Amino acid sequence: MSNPLADMDKPDVIFCIGTNMTECHPVAATRIKQAIKRGAKLIVADPRKISLANMANLYLPLRVGSDVALLLGMAHVIARDGLVNRSFINDRTDKGEAFLEHVQQFTPQWAAKISGLNPCDIEQAAHWYAQAERSAIYYTLGITEHICGVDNVQSLCNLALMTGHIGREGTGINPMRGQNNIQGAGDAGAVPANYPGFQPVTDPLSQEKFKQLYGREMDPEKGITKVSALNECGKSIHAMLIDGENTVVSDPDRSHCLRSLESLEHLVVIDIFLTETAELADVVLPATAWGETDGVCVNTERRVQRLRQAVPPHGEAKPDWWIISQIAQRLAVPGFEFESAKDVFNELCSLSPIYAGLDWDRIEKAEYQWPVPEKDHPGTPILHVDEFKNGRGLFSLIHYRDPAEVVDENYPVWLTTGRRLEAYHTRTQTGRAAGIDYLLPEESLEVNPENLAEWNLTDGGYANLTSRRGTVKIRVKSSGRSPLGTVFCSFSFNDVPVNILTGSGYDPVTETAELKVCPVRVEPA
Amino acid sequence: MITESKPVVTATMTLDGREVTYTEGETIYEVARRANIEVPTLCYDPRLEPFGACRLCIVEVEGGRNPVASCTTPAVAGMVVHTQTEAVEKHRRTLLELVASENPEENINPLRGYASQELNQLLEKHDVQPGRFQGKHSGTSNKDDNPFILRDYNHCISCYRCVRVCAEQEGDHAITMMNRGFEKQITAEFDIRLKESACTFCGQCVQTCPTGALGDRKAMRAEAQKEDFKKTRSVCPYCGVGCQVDLLSKEDRLVGIQPAMDGPANEGALCIKGQFAFDFVQHEDRLSKPLVRGEDGKLHEVDWDTALDRAAEGFKKVRQQHGNHAIYGVASGRAPSEASYTMQKFIRAGFGTNQIDNCSRA
Amino acid sequence: MNDRATDRVLIDQWREEPAPLLPLLHAFQERDGWLTEDVLRAVSADLNIPLAELFGTVTFYHHFSQEPPGRELPRVCDGPVCRFQGAPNLIEKLNAKPMPCAGRCDGPVPVLQSDEVLTGTSFDQLKTNPSPLPPPNPGAIEECVFAHIREPGRATLKGYRETGGYDCLKRVLAETPEHLVSVITESRLAGRGGAGFSTGKKWAMVAKAPGQPKTIVCNADEGEPGCFKDRVLLNYDPHAILEGMILAAYATGASRGFIYLRYEYPEAQAVLEHAVAEALDAGFLGQSICGKAGFDFDIFVRRGAGAYICGEEGSLLNSLEGKHPFPRNRPPFPVTNGFEDLPTAVNNVETFAAVPPIVNHGADWYQSLGSGDHAGTKVVSLSGDIQCPGNYEVPIGLPLKTLLYDWAGGPREGQSIQAVSMAGLSGGFLGGGDLDEVTLDEPSVRSRGSFLGAAGIIVFDERRNMVDVAKNAMAFFAEESCGKCFPCRIGTERLTERLNGSALFNDSDSWHEEVADIEKTMMATSACGLGVAAPNITRSLQKYFPEQIAAHLK
Repeated sequence: MSNPLADMDKPDVIFCIGTNMTECHPVAATRIKQAIKRGAKLIVADPRKISLANMANLYLPLRVGSDVALLLGMAHVIARDGLVNRSFINDRTDKGEAFLEHVQQFTPQWAAKISGLNPCDIEQAAHWYAQAERSAIYYTLGITEHICGVDNVQSLCNLALMTGHIGREGTGINPMRGQNNIQGAGDAGAVPANYPGFQPVTDPLSQEKFKQLYGREMDPEKGITKVSALNECGKSIHAMLIDGENTVVSDPDRSHCLRSLESLEHLVVIDIFLTETAELADVVLPATAWGETDGVCVNTERRVQRLRQAVPPHGEAKPDWWIISQIAQRLAVPGFEFESAKDVFNELCSLSPIYAGLDWDRIEKAEYQWPVPEKDHPGTPILHVDEFKNGRGLFSLIHYRDPAEVVDENYPVWLTTGRRLEAYHTRTQTGRAAGIDYLLPEESLEVNPENLAEWNLTDGGYANLTSRRGTVKIRVKSSGRSPLGTVFCSFSFNDVPVNILTGSGYDPVTETAELKVCPVRVEPA
Repeated sequence: MITESKPVVTATMTLDGREVTYTEGETIYEVARRANIEVPTLCYDPRLEPFGACRLCIVEVEGGRNPVASCTTPAVAGMVVHTQTEAVEKHRRTLLELVASENPEENINPLRGYASQELNQLLEKHDVQPGRFQGKHSGTSNKDDNPFILRDYNHCISCYRCVRVCAEQEGDHAITMMNRGFEKQITAEFDIRLKESACTFCGQCVQTCPTGALGDRKAMRAEAQKEDFKKTRSVCPYCGVGCQVDLLSKEDRLVGIQPAMDGPANEGALCIKGQFAFDFVQHEDRLSKPLVRGEDGKLHEVDWDTALDRAAEGFKKVRQQHGNHAIYGVASGRAPSEASYTMQKFIRAGFGTNQIDNCSRA
Repeated sequence: MNDRATDRVLIDQWREEPAPLLPLLHAFQERDGWLTEDVLRAVSADLNIPLAELFGTVTFYHHFSQEPPGRELPRVCDGPVCRFQGAPNLIEKLNAKPMPCAGRCDGPVPVLQSDEVLTGTSFDQLKTNPSPLPPPNPGAIEECVFAHIREPGRATLKGYRETGGYDCLKRVLAETPEHLVSVITESRLAGRGGAGFSTGKKWAMVAKAPGQPKTIVCNADEGEPGCFKDRVLLNYDPHAILEGMILAAYATGASRGFIYLRYEYPEAQAVLEHAVAEALDAGFLGQSICGKAGFDFDIFVRRGAGAYICGEEGSLLNSLEGKHPFPRNRPPFPVTNGFEDLPTAVNNVETFAAVPPIVNHGADWYQSLGSGDHAGTKVVSLSGDIQCPGNYEVPIGLPLKTLLYDWAGGPREGQSIQAVSMAGLSGGFLGGGDLDEVTLDEPSVRSRGSFLGAAGIIVFDERRNMVDVAKNAMAFFAEESCGKCFPCRIGTERLTERLNGSALFNDSDSWHEEVADIEKTMMATSACGLGVAAPNITRSLQKYFPEQIAAHLK
């Protein structure tokens, strides 16, 4: 997030797109509810009538995968109606003129045709967003899990840049991260393109730095992404070390995942449970769970916080860092003589510019949001205040693209997937928490009541859901949250492996799968 | 709705003989708290709008006929306030005796909730003995069978902190006050179960309840264990908001969760997952020993050395046969940063490649 | 049954109106007989009120029903006067629900069924009787609000205009609002609902307060047992109230007005709505009143649903806004943060009715109506064990004795007066020598530990068991306590139990000790007038009737 969570009740206009925040980030959503109470306007763009939509002053029920069209249409209106922030564009950005010219072609009528929205609602959203003193954008995987995920994000950036709604309190572009330490994993360098602290692996200076630190030559090329790696299993990839991820259930195209992992010569999984993924491993190493170990995690607003041990490890479980270090030592890799999480974290701080001002003891009270470049730095709650990371903000000239697969005669229904309040991810954790079943005993497919009869389904009965990749049987639930012709379910339940169906396409830049759009056929089962 | 930033206006008033400075808009109660003057209250929660129900926070303001509720009365320049006069203390005692009289006497286990001891502590502090003002009890326990929230309204004192936290903080508006006066009950609409209401089981009502009328049913499973619980500050293991929590443990058992009232991301709030979905940690399905696939194709428990040797051996072999780039590391977005750091270091320092990613793409 | 679409038609009639919740719920209750779950769901969705909150609010009121027979169920007044006139018998015969004092204490027992008020002392005599007019001016002393009320046709625009009604508007509008405020301030007119705050000062504060639109609210939620003075003004002189409100609007710069009318006065609602329509037609309401550009003012009649506490101005405003009708914390006061958090003048019916005569006759004239140093008049509702019950407009400062014996004919044949209540029930009782000495003004009444308030006076002769009277009075306060503040919520219940014998005591000392402690704490710490005043009942009982308490404790 460019702005802190505490900022969420400060905007005059809040634009939530592709985020089911009340279910996926409930505590953040409470701040939006409070902002509404104080008089903020809420615009919600989401194909489903989620509960945020019910709170919205303006709800934009766009067709799945049409976000770029909506955002281009809004940019057009902002430019057309003279609502751009000229001085911001001049002082802080590049390619502004080209962008303003580029959006001239994308009228709200054009956007409406693609998205199924009313053109005057698109205008209204553009006016509200642009005219407010402070407008903030919040988004989640509804934006990124598309073949055009990067285009979606850049389209949002364009809106913020053309109106100057960034770098100030109560504004910004704010992705809500879905896992407690997914931010920290990226910060720590567990990505193919960056060393810790987002130092590019392709940068010769960084290469030299890590060569010194790690005592060996560094690969000047980026690594491949996990998605590519799964494709390469048995081809160029032959061994994997997977820590705490249930790839088989959470990733798209489950059969492909299974085949990939099975074709590895060597698979080592570190986890707290024998997950569907761990069951495929040659070696399974039991890790300490949350509550059993000390450590650090970083939240969606870049706040660096301490996790603390409350109870002894279960059985012989060991901390992840210890396990990996032990393997490394057995391979005679130097530099793994860590004795505590503190040692590990302090080493990370010492070589990451964004953590340079931090160490284990300084984050005791969770006061810091990175970047914290030196010891007496107060941290950076708001990013991009005076300049952008690379100096000037760059407009991107985006065009709308259809999803990888669109509905047709054989697959006439849009399936979109997501999460539910009571279940987390693949339920390895929530599925083992007493009482959760009382509220959410099983997965079901949300179908608009008007579609029920049309498709010969009964509320509470079963349906077969078929995509180009497979079929899943699922209970049917009548729900006004689903628009006509679009159905929804979560991927949390292993007995309804909906990711058998997904995997139609991937964003070419990030290789994120298009989990939000999957044409299917719905038939009574 | 955003008003331009105005300079902070400060002024002074006198509190128990001391001159204190306050900021315009502060209530007498807030000023007193800052001045470390303890004023009792049962209906106050700093996150909520001032309410003024319990009247325990009354103070005397010179020149006023009656004492005023300090939680709802703004500080005024030059005001002379006494928080502990004999008359005020007598009223507080009477009020506490009245509150004690409306419910059955019972020791409330602190596992019920964060604030569950507030009433009993006040009764103790003011040395209130039961027995005065005997009469009808208010409140009837609700038979709601949900596994998370005990609704033991036999202990309800109608401070409405639960109703207010649900409306003002959580924004769910799931519960309300039914009827009037002594007959008042806390219910969802049409007196339905919470499951059928707008309740999202975030648990905030439980944690703000000052009597334990609302209780954390999951934590209460450990009531029979005699020893006190220990609190360990940590961060919720679920989404990326990063709510701070206190883990409650008894000896080696993790028994419950309470929100950190001063957590920067959550300020006392949690959701159903953070509040109630903690017991995967000590679940019987947990892996307790390393496993290695045997000749029979099945996974077998082994000791750590065997497993680690086997893990390392496999990587060595693949490196020999296919080169460094054939080994790939997937870090976890749910493990601590130290796990991700060592994982990427393992790949980069161990094999010299960038064949590393995390699970953020799923 | 009605479906969602027909619900929506009704909702659409009201949703854009100011203060829509109460009239909308009444409309549904009138249509269906009671408020169904479906209706509450529809109202919640369309008015954007959380369902739980709406449900809680509905349960707060006596007269909203969520089950059959709903509004068809007869309700019989079991107030302190009707109790002696056959109410218990009527309740049994009609299988009716008791309701708190319905403001007809100057006649037979009222029975409310649907929107009809029948009266009678026994089952077979029930019929619609017109609400009693004030008895003929008994003291031959000049009246203010009652000067013309007995004239036939007074409730119509024509009747009102015959004696110069609305004539002063043109003249006042030619002068500044400040001038009007100063006239009212100089007259020393003070809140006639009982609080006694200077009306002129209140209006000046609203005029000065920032924020638009401003609002005038007429508090016609006359719920105090033994008070029925507003009823007669509402029924027989509605235009005087409207004119008073219009003048208030001009004085303060308000553009909208509400009359918050208690549920138990259905006939007054019809009268008021007719009067508002007439005034609108005649150009005394609406846009550019009397041709004065920029002076726009509308009045909306809103009917309560049966909750004594809604007579308290904070509760009343919450109720109007469709919120849970708890009193509001003060400060801030309604003059700056009233209806919808904007500046609002809330005045009583009688206060507004006094304004046009003051404007017509001058501040000095009004002051001179009082006795001695006291300014003006007060309508007293006199009822109970007295020859001629009714509303009497008395000069402030009139001896109680004069009212009881000279004006109202004294006690019933062969009886003597044991006690009177003050301020309806809120002032507790006066008895003994005080009955002969007290004069009808706040300083005199307050010096006896009571207060005049809205000036309901109920007479109890020697036949009455005062502990029993006190018990019923306290039960009323307990029933009507909103339940927000602890001292009132628990205190009224505990005092009731100490009067009805359900709380057992080994010795009378501990009874007295407990009662005294509750009284002191309620009076000092309660959040609104209800809890502050309720202990007047037990305090005065102990003061004047210790022997009856002793007998009760045996």
